[in-house]
Amino acid sequence: MSGTEWLVVVGGIAAIAWVNWYFLFAERGTGPVGGSPGEKEEG
Amino acid sequence: MTASPRTADRAIQPNQGANGNGAREKIRIPVSGMTCAACQSRVQRALQQQEGVDDASVNLMMKSATVTYDPSAITPERLVETIRDTGYGAQLASPDQTAFEEQESRDRVQEEEFKELRLKAIVSAIAGVIAMVFAMPLMAGGEHGPRGPVADPFMRWMMDSLTPGLRTIAPWLYAIPSGVISYALLVATLGVMLWAGRHFYTRAWAAFRHHSADMNTLVAIGTGAAFLYSVFATVAPGFFLSRGVAPDVYYEAVIIIIALILTGSSFEARAKKQTSAALRALVNLQPKTARVLRGEEEIDVPVEAVATGETVVVRPGERVPVDGSVVSGHSAVDESMLTGESLPVSKAPGDRVIGGTINRTGAFRLAATTVGADSVLAQIVRLMRDAQGSRAPIQRLADQISGIFVPIVLSIAIATFVAWFVTAETAPAVRAFAAAVAVLIIACPCAMGLAVPTAVMVSTGKGAELGVLIKGGEALQRAGDIRTIVLDKTGTVTEGRPTVTDFFASSGTSLATEEDLLRLVASLETSSEHPLADAIVRYAKDKGVRLSSPDSFQSLTGRGASGVVDGVALAVGNEALMADYAVDVAPLRSITQQLAGDGKTPVYVAANGVLAGVLGVADPIKETSREAIVRLHRMGLEVVMLTGDNRRTADAIARQAGIDRVVAEVMPDGKVSEIRRLQAEGKVVAMVGDGINDAPALAQADVGMAMGTGTDIAAEAADIVLMRGDLGSAAQAIELSRRTMRTMKQNLFWAFIYNVIGIPIAAGALYPTLGLLLSPILASAAMAFSSVSVVTNSLRLRGIRLT
Repeated sequence: MSGTEWLVVVGGIAAIAWVNWYFLFAERGTGPVGGSPGEKEEG
Repeated sequence: MTASPRTADRAIQPNQGANGNGAREKIRIPVSGMTCAACQSRVQRALQQQEGVDDASVNLMMKSATVTYDPSAITPERLVETIRDTGYGAQLASPDQTAFEEQESRDRVQEEEFKELRLKAIVSAIAGVIAMVFAMPLMAGGEHGPRGPVADPFMRWMMDSLTPGLRTIAPWLYAIPSGVISYALLVATLGVMLWAGRHFYTRAWAAFRHHSADMNTLVAIGTGAAFLYSVFATVAPGFFLSRGVAPDVYYEAVIIIIALILTGSSFEARAKKQTSAALRALVNLQPKTARVLRGEEEIDVPVEAVATGETVVVRPGERVPVDGSVVSGHSAVDESMLTGESLPVSKAPGDRVIGGTINRTGAFRLAATTVGADSVLAQIVRLMRDAQGSRAPIQRLADQISGIFVPIVLSIAIATFVAWFVTAETAPAVRAFAAAVAVLIIACPCAMGLAVPTAVMVSTGKGAELGVLIKGGEALQRAGDIRTIVLDKTGTVTEGRPTVTDFFASSGTSLATEEDLLRLVASLETSSEHPLADAIVRYAKDKGVRLSSPDSFQSLTGRGASGVVDGVALAVGNEALMADYAVDVAPLRSITQQLAGDGKTPVYVAANGVLAGVLGVADPIKETSREAIVRLHRMGLEVVMLTGDNRRTADAIARQAGIDRVVAEVMPDGKVSEIRRLQAEGKVVAMVGDGINDAPALAQADVGMAMGTGTDIAAEAADIVLMRGDLGSAAQAIELSRRTMRTMKQNLFWAFIYNVIGIPIAAGALYPTLGLLLSPILASAAMAFSSVSVVTNSLRLRGIRLT
């Protein structure tokens, strides 16, 4: 693999990690929302 | 600011907080612009995170948020701001709005939303076609020489097919410098993105700020990436050319993707509008004016101006404007729109009429009893609105998946880009880019969000048409699982209007005549509210017996009544009551057995501690009961009849009705334990009763069905109200629920399977074996119509026939 390809692979892994961290874990209580309308989340 | 308490029908209602610390208020705020389950989650989460908010529930289909809050900590205006901060529209409903006006206002908003989406879709589609035509010279090579692999194979195929014709028709197009075309397309695309597609980007950004992502995020990233790539290729083509890559632009693809998604959204908006058609039909039943008798004059006034007690004149062919009681005149009233009962019901002075029904034959006058928010129709509309906005437990699965869906899709898109970039032999960046965009565009969380609520809406609407009011998604789902149905005898299996058919006085009575005995018994029963007592009083009056007031009276639940009339100590009731007073019933045993064998209830009379006589009371089974019970059996249900009557009478009624299991001689409080016992056997139990006497049993059952008479709809402790008051409605409710569950499961299956199959194909999973790649444009078309297919499947419930 070329240097560019390595860069894309590493960048891709970092981007995936960031996306999941940002949308699922970054803010306490902003994890996946499910359940009934009355259910409140922590935080 | 403190919001004032308002009526339940209005947007705001007072509500004591669960913890009891200070007053809590509940407010319903209309929310616009939500398109999928993720949108709903986001608004709900934003509200729940506000200080002072106890609970927030957002409904996608009803487009509203219901918030329970502490008015000393947060104001309604702040709640509205919170919703607006998430990128959606919100405004406080007018406090003076009735349920009817609220529905009308929601309809107007829905109509406007649909028209706006349709306009944007049409304009974008026209712009997309023009952009495609202008992009053809670029695709053909232009000044930059032949193009390399294209991001969108569908576009390549289209252009390859159309180019020869276009060269002949419009050769001038090919003379325009490619730079000019690129810049023109850039401006056009930007225009479409900012006007027609603006909401995708603003909502995606608002979601991003709240660490949330939804359908808008996917569309915004997909089209945004394609647009930025094209801008770079337009502004700095040399950068690409120096690396041996053609500076391709994808403006036309961006416009067409936006046009297709908007087309899908507008179809979806129209279909969603149809799901609330039943509710709209109910709202339209309410007449706007009433003809009120004031003095000697008949005056037409707005229906809101009618006061309780006022006399209203109703002519043949008119709708009854308000609930009331007939004071003069006779007529037949068509109540089918509320009860599903097809035959007009005759009305005479003293009879109750319901606002919204149609007066067919004669003119009559009525005294208004309930008006405005308390009217039966307003209650039904409110109940339907709440039911349609409620959620079925099955939706939790869809909610949980929707919550993590978009981040997972973004991850798959990035992984797709990397995989293509590393493995593609030619033009890796272009191929990687196309596949990643296709993944973003094809993924559709909307279909999952719509799968359950659209079915709940259509089904509850269908139920209302049939006179079956289902009070929410949860009841709807549970009713589909019922395996045992428990029927209360009186008023459910039977007419509930018992009449005395036989009267025997014992030869050993000390009373002078049979009429004397009847007079005493009937006088005692004037103080009772039991239907059997009512039958005895009517029987005595029909015989011309003059009644007096009892000196004392005691009602003995499940046994009968006792008291003193004209100095005679009386006990009137069943065998258990006679045993309590140590009265020997043996002398009349053969008569009572004969009565019970005929399905009649024997009522013993003891005077001064001696058996004085017995009355036979018959309550004939309803005409519809037998057929309904056959149907319930055919549906695989176990049918049980519960009654306080003696075993012989109960068995006789059960035999006539075709019921296979009878639990007799049950005290009113024993009904609850009987239902518990059935539940303990692992059965899902429905109880059908009259809704007042049977309230505890209805509440205990997994599904409580109340035989409604068109009144007290909201007060009844039932999950389902059967407006028509016959058992056939119970069978219809269960059948409707089963069909609805089937539709929900189909919807969820198709919504999931669509994504499970579509996303890997878009990522290029079939490319190594079949050489198959999905165009982002085809992906956007598929995405647009996945939601439409789910809503359409739910709409099929409108057409089902429940006999």
